[in-house]
Amino acid sequence: MVQLITGGSGSGKSAYAEGEIVGYRKQLKDGGGLFYPFLYVATMIPYGREAEEKIRRHKEQRMEAGFFTLERYTELSGLEIPPNAGILLECVSNLTANELYERDQNSKEAFEAVVSGIRSLSGRTKHLVIVTNEVHSDINGYSRETEEYRRLLGRINCALARMADKVTEVVYGIPVVYKDEKRDGRTFVEQL
Amino acid sequence: MILVVGGAYQGKLAFARGLCPGTEWIDGRTCQEEELFGCGGVHHFHAYIEGQLRKGQPVRQLAGRIADENPEIVIVSDEIGYGIVPVDAFDREYRETAGRICTELAVYADKVYRVVCGLGLMLKG
Repeated sequence: MVQLITGGSGSGKSAYAEGEIVGYRKQLKDGGGLFYPFLYVATMIPYGREAEEKIRRHKEQRMEAGFFTLERYTELSGLEIPPNAGILLECVSNLTANELYERDQNSKEAFEAVVSGIRSLSGRTKHLVIVTNEVHSDINGYSRETEEYRRLLGRINCALARMADKVTEVVYGIPVVYKDEKRDGRTFVEQL
Repeated sequence: MILVVGGAYQGKLAFARGLCPGTEWIDGRTCQEEELFGCGGVHHFHAYIEGQLRKGQPVRQLAGRIADENPEIVIVSDEIGYGIVPVDAFDREYRETAGRICTELAVYADKVYRVVCGLGLMLKG
């Protein structure tokens, strides 16, 4: 089961994603590997005090909820994944920026690195929850570099949505479902 | 009329093509006004509005004229109003005008979809 969760900044995506992971394990008959921890794959590079503080806060929050944190900024396909009850990846917007700028790759290479990295994560867990970001509904007055990043993230999000069993946009904490393979009568969604 | 909206780079045109196969598309960045009233579908419609405003052409009647003269049109437009209010006065006017025109089109449209990550959610229809 792969879930993609998108939304704007401060929309409550993160809390919703965490709840989905914890809730999913409870649904499984065998407890979904109850003895294993949840993994939290964090992609933000701790540049500066603000980022360090944010990372520390997120780690603490997640530890209380039973998550083990793995910090990984690029090349997810090379990441060693221990047995787990579910993986929360946060977030694709950081990961994409890292693949572009930290590894100095072009858009095509960054696309491949992000998508294949996430695909390899999905093969190592029963439940992968991917958090991404909606940065595309603003006026298009950005620099060429930023515009290229926005285009790349849009393409990556579309590719991840195809891979996912369920796609949800979180609007002020309210989940709006765009795709749900398990749900019958998906007349509300016209999927390509 | 079908209106397909969503953020940039969400796969809106691919979605609309799947929804309305066989539609002949024109590009709002380059099309002329008269093409708009005779085409099957227009994408980058927000860019058409921007172009008209830059040329100083009136757009107040645009939504109503499209509904009258080309009621079966499929319109694909970016949503551009979700960020900070732009500092530039033209950008502010464009952003606001695009929002108002699409709001009016949504009233005329039989179906309205919002596309996120390549997936269309029906908002009206």
